Amino acid sequence: MLLAVLFSNSEGNILIERFHGVPAEERLHWRTFLVKLGADNLKGAKSEELFVASHKSVYIVYTMLGDVCIYVVGKDEYDELALAEVIFVITSSVKDVCGKPPTERLFLDKYGKICLCLDEIVWKGMLENTDKDRIRRLIRLKPPTDI
Amino acid sequence: MDSSGTTLMDLITADPSSVPSGTSGTSGPSANTSTTSSVAAPPSTLGKPAAQTDRKSKRSTLMQIHSETISVAKALNPVKTNIMPQKQKKKPVSYSQLARSIHELAAASDQKSSQKQLVHHVFPKLAVYNSVDPSLAPSLLMLNQQCEDRSVLRYVYYYLARILSDSGSQGLSPGGGIPTPNWDALADIDAIGGVTRADVVPRIINQLTKEASNADVEFHARRLAALKALTFAPSSNNEILAKLFEIVFGILDKVADTKQKRKKGMFGGKGGDKESIIRSNLQYAALSALRRLPLDPGNPAFLHRAVQGVSFSDSVAVRYSLEIISELATKDPYSVAMAIGKLLLPGGALQDVLHLHDVLARVALARLCHTISRARALDERPDIKAQFASVLYQLLLDPSERVCFEAILCVLGKFDNTERAEERAAGWYRLTREILKLPEAPSVSLKETSVESKDSLPPKPSKDKSQKSRRPQPLIKLVMRRLESSFRSFSRPVLHAAARVVQEMGKSRAAAFALGVDIDEGAHLSVYSEATDSLDTDLNETSSHSEASRKASSVSNGTTGKDTVASLLASLMEVVRTTVACECVYVRAMVIKALIWMQSPYESFEELESIIASELSDPAWPSTLLNDILLTLHARFKATPDMAVTLLEIARIFATKVPGKIDADVLQLLWKTCLVGAGPGGKHTALEAVTIVLDLPPPQPGSMSGLTSIDMVSASDPKSALALQRLVQAAVWFLGENANYAASEYAWESATPPGTALMMLDADKMVAAASSRNPTLAGALTRLQRCAFSGSWEVRIIAAQALTTMAIRSGEPFRLQIYEFLHALSLGGVQSQFSDMHLSNGEDQGASGTGLGSLISPMLKVLDEMYKAQDDLIKEIRNHDNAKKEWTDEELKKLYETHEKLLDQVSLFCYVPRAKYLPLGPISAKLIDIYRTRHNISASTGLNDPAVATGISDLVYESKRTPAEPDTLDDDLVNAWAANLGDDSLWSNNATAMNRVNEFLAGAGTDAPDVEEENITYRPSVGYDDMWAKTLLEASEPEEDDARSSGTSSPESTGSVETSISSHFGGMSYPSLFSSRPSGYGSSKTSERASAPGASRFSDPSVGSSASMFEGLGSPRYESFENPLAGHGAQSLESQDDEPSRSENRQFGKALYDFTAGGDDELNLTAGEELEIDYEVDGWFYVKKKRPGRDGKMAGLVPVLYVSQS
Repeated sequence: MLLAVLFSNSEGNILIERFHGVPAEERLHWRTFLVKLGADNLKGAKSEELFVASHKSVYIVYTMLGDVCIYVVGKDEYDELALAEVIFVITSSVKDVCGKPPTERLFLDKYGKICLCLDEIVWKGMLENTDKDRIRRLIRLKPPTDI
Repeated sequence: MDSSGTTLMDLITADPSSVPSGTSGTSGPSANTSTTSSVAAPPSTLGKPAAQTDRKSKRSTLMQIHSETISVAKALNPVKTNIMPQKQKKKPVSYSQLARSIHELAAASDQKSSQKQLVHHVFPKLAVYNSVDPSLAPSLLMLNQQCEDRSVLRYVYYYLARILSDSGSQGLSPGGGIPTPNWDALADIDAIGGVTRADVVPRIINQLTKEASNADVEFHARRLAALKALTFAPSSNNEILAKLFEIVFGILDKVADTKQKRKKGMFGGKGGDKESIIRSNLQYAALSALRRLPLDPGNPAFLHRAVQGVSFSDSVAVRYSLEIISELATKDPYSVAMAIGKLLLPGGALQDVLHLHDVLARVALARLCHTISRARALDERPDIKAQFASVLYQLLLDPSERVCFEAILCVLGKFDNTERAEERAAGWYRLTREILKLPEAPSVSLKETSVESKDSLPPKPSKDKSQKSRRPQPLIKLVMRRLESSFRSFSRPVLHAAARVVQEMGKSRAAAFALGVDIDEGAHLSVYSEATDSLDTDLNETSSHSEASRKASSVSNGTTGKDTVASLLASLMEVVRTTVACECVYVRAMVIKALIWMQSPYESFEELESIIASELSDPAWPSTLLNDILLTLHARFKATPDMAVTLLEIARIFATKVPGKIDADVLQLLWKTCLVGAGPGGKHTALEAVTIVLDLPPPQPGSMSGLTSIDMVSASDPKSALALQRLVQAAVWFLGENANYAASEYAWESATPPGTALMMLDADKMVAAASSRNPTLAGALTRLQRCAFSGSWEVRIIAAQALTTMAIRSGEPFRLQIYEFLHALSLGGVQSQFSDMHLSNGEDQGASGTGLGSLISPMLKVLDEMYKAQDDLIKEIRNHDNAKKEWTDEELKKLYETHEKLLDQVSLFCYVPRAKYLPLGPISAKLIDIYRTRHNISASTGLNDPAVATGISDLVYESKRTPAEPDTLDDDLVNAWAANLGDDSLWSNNATAMNRVNEFLAGAGTDAPDVEEENITYRPSVGYDDMWAKTLLEASEPEEDDARSSGTSSPESTGSVETSISSHFGGMSYPSLFSSRPSGYGSSKTSERASAPGASRFSDPSVGSSASMFEGLGSPRYESFENPLAGHGAQSLESQDDEPSRSENRQFGKALYDFTAGGDDELNLTAGEELEIDYEVDGWFYVKKKRPGRDGKMAGLVPVLYVSQS
């Protein structure tokens, strides 16, 4: 289960979040925890360098893409490595949408598109599409495999 | 809090230049609520039913709702048509404006400009909100039907899905974003005019169903999107579920059965004719939807369709079908195996999956193969099981670490969180014994593999693979080699995962040891291998590995050349140990866990010890992780009780290095479990390991010299100094409580007659005699004596109590020795004796020298009485012997009464087994027995123990003392009980710690982590405004609203709750049920915020560790955190109770005349309109309409005379 996908800027403001299967009262703690993780570790990190953390049976993989921090949280089959796949799909789609590793401003400019991408990547707590071309087609309401 | 919400909302509200004041939109207050709660931490109102927020005054709530209603009415009904011109100005937009724009633009959806507006401005901005309100649905549906633009339509499906997925009850969809209110509740407040989800969901479903069933080829992209959106409908609704199943199976009926052969080379989806592409797209969509539907285990059609999916050409579809099948297989392995048996044959679809470019598909395949190959139901079909096992083993060669590791875990018997020792042991057996024999690989797949592996792995392993693929290989070797290469990776997730796999390997190995599965790790692997020559060549090929393993094997068993399990393990562990140098603390933690699990009870653990010691000196370790490791020690102990002493030694490092960061309860529990587990031989060592804590010099503030020495205390800050002291107390108590157990010295088993001691009244002789008799106990005694002098006040008290416990439980000469010591202690007389070891803690120790006099005197009194009674008894016996008299019943009765009285007294101080304990000394045993038999008195009166019965013993030792209460006295266990160590009591003894340990052992825990530090670093954005305000949310506010902007609010200022609420809504309260704003709202939130950082769950490391925050409602630990919540809950219940009564008291009326509103507060009336009267004020009624009027307003003030009350 992919429990959460979360984007924040480098100052810890949360830009996008998608939770699945996380009780509402625990979301606050996840946000705090994740943002703190990022604040502690992502300063000066290379773009797209992967970081890992775990809490009990839950795994967290996070990274920095341009000015944006991306966190994914999962459990069970979504372990560190599966989350690394997820985050790879997300970063490549975001780069695809923004044309490059986004600045914060660019990210906000493309906010709607990024939401749609995320919608194609994570669907009800499961990784859906992994191919960025396919995602690009789908957010334009084209069939996944073009005729 | 919903930070993204705060971010965006703050942008709107916090920027003075662009404050939208009249954001009469609906999202404002709830965003603010969450801002507050975010700072105030836990009791986020987000997920709670809205009504939970405190409503102190019903009246004010009502008032609030009224005014809210007005704003809602404004927000939800597009009265203004001038939105377009306003858009030109660059100002933040509100939700309501966006909503209005959608209504507007939907009507003009055929125009290019409107479409552009929608795609570039309205829809993206709307995406920042958590949910969209149902009243948008009609416009969205209109767009859906009329608009041609694909981008618009894509957004429309997105929002329709969000409306469907919104759970409604709390207005909180999983989507995140700016919190929005509970739309349905809002609509209900509107009474008549509001649109609820109930109104629109059926329409949306109908529309989407129609589209999802549309077989038009040109339409099929939309068909896919519609089906996807449909799956977001709540699965609790059976009707929708049935519809979805119908659609999905309908599609599959059309597209799944066609006998299309998956053509090789079609994996990328390139090429192929139009028809097959469309079919493949539909297959994908149908299986994606099916995967989101609940599993239907007994349904053959379900299974059939899922199995067909394996042959589909769309890789995502294949993944889903495998996931579904593997889940089904856990329920019904037999039918699944029968259904997919053919696919497994060479050239079958399952073989193709091995080379499918979808990692998760192969992971699902691994799980499926594992489930079937281990299924009991298939015991009669070993051939099938072997086939699946062989596929599983092939997956060990997978280029992706994710797949390979999953396969390793499956082989090891780690499938889900249910830990079964037999399965684990069998897993270790399999891993060490099994051989991978690859079938003749078809050339195609080989080619594919090498192509595929290019992007996911360095080329070398794939080359290896193609070269060796036909050679049988022992699994363990493949696995070890793979893990070693993973440990050389630079990717932290890979390192973490590899360490985790090693940990699981250790678990399986421990289980195998525990169950006595015979695995000779020193034996050559070639014994099991059928192709020994391959091993040699392997060795040559991987020279770097074999070099290490040769070195290791020569160390471990003196052989070189050929691999043994032991040598492979040794070389792996070498690599694992180097990984501890990783800069990521989580990887290090996982490595340490792996090392703990791989530590064998028979090997030296010095290396592990020093690794842990130097690790713990790193201040970067968060306490949750340390506690996790501590819990790992528990788990390790449970798996291998033999390791008690080792584990205690390791635990000791935690106690001394990071006392402030670990949960003392859990540590104590570990001490205890290990002490019991250490067995007769190890008890002494175990006790030593615990009490070594007491021998440590007091922490030297600021001293860095001992950073790497494990015998040095690191407690440089006050917090850890305090924690260390608590730990010392615990150790002292533990020592007193368990020394007798560890030393196997009990008064009731002592052979020394009590008189002996009297002959050794010389203290020196006594000490000498004591230590020669039982060094363990003598050692413990010495430590306690020192603690009674040199510790802090709390430690001294506990030491005195511990000594008393020992005095009562021990035979002579210990009792006398303690007696003498206590006596001296109470007088302070021996102070000088100990002055050489007097380590002052700077505390004035009082006139008596120890200040313990008053505490000790009752203890001394008990001992005095015992000695006196013993003397009397000896005298009596002598008299009887001299006079050659039998004991009369009267005399026996007196003796028995003294015995009982003393027992009662003794029980006040510590637990003793009543049936066995003889306060009058061993010689009384016979006489008491005679009396008991004569009068038929049962010896097991343990339950009548007054101390136990009245709980006095608890008081005596405060909360720390929780004696076990055995129901029956089993003689074998008596001694263990006496030390409070009986198995059951052990586990029930320390509930909080126990919960934590059990939870950990069960692998539970997906609950949110706690952040220890108070400075929560993610912030509501204040300095964010420019970007958002000027770029994303450029739009304008109605002019009139600007006037109302009542000041900016920094979310960080305490007053911001009130001000920002009012700033949003022009001073009107807002209808969010999240933030219903009773009079005390602001202040209560503020105080909550203030108290939160100090709250125990943040400061107490024991709580911060692993207990689920919400598990312990009744636990006082959570008090500071729970109370506000509980308060809210109670209030919400109340207020819910109030609801009906409020509605019962409603007054209704009818408009007598038309009335034209003269101001914002007032409401237009049309004669004859039905109204609900809320209250009267100064000749005006505040009324609500059943449906909004032409102006869209729902509620407002009307003159009393215009309304007739019914």
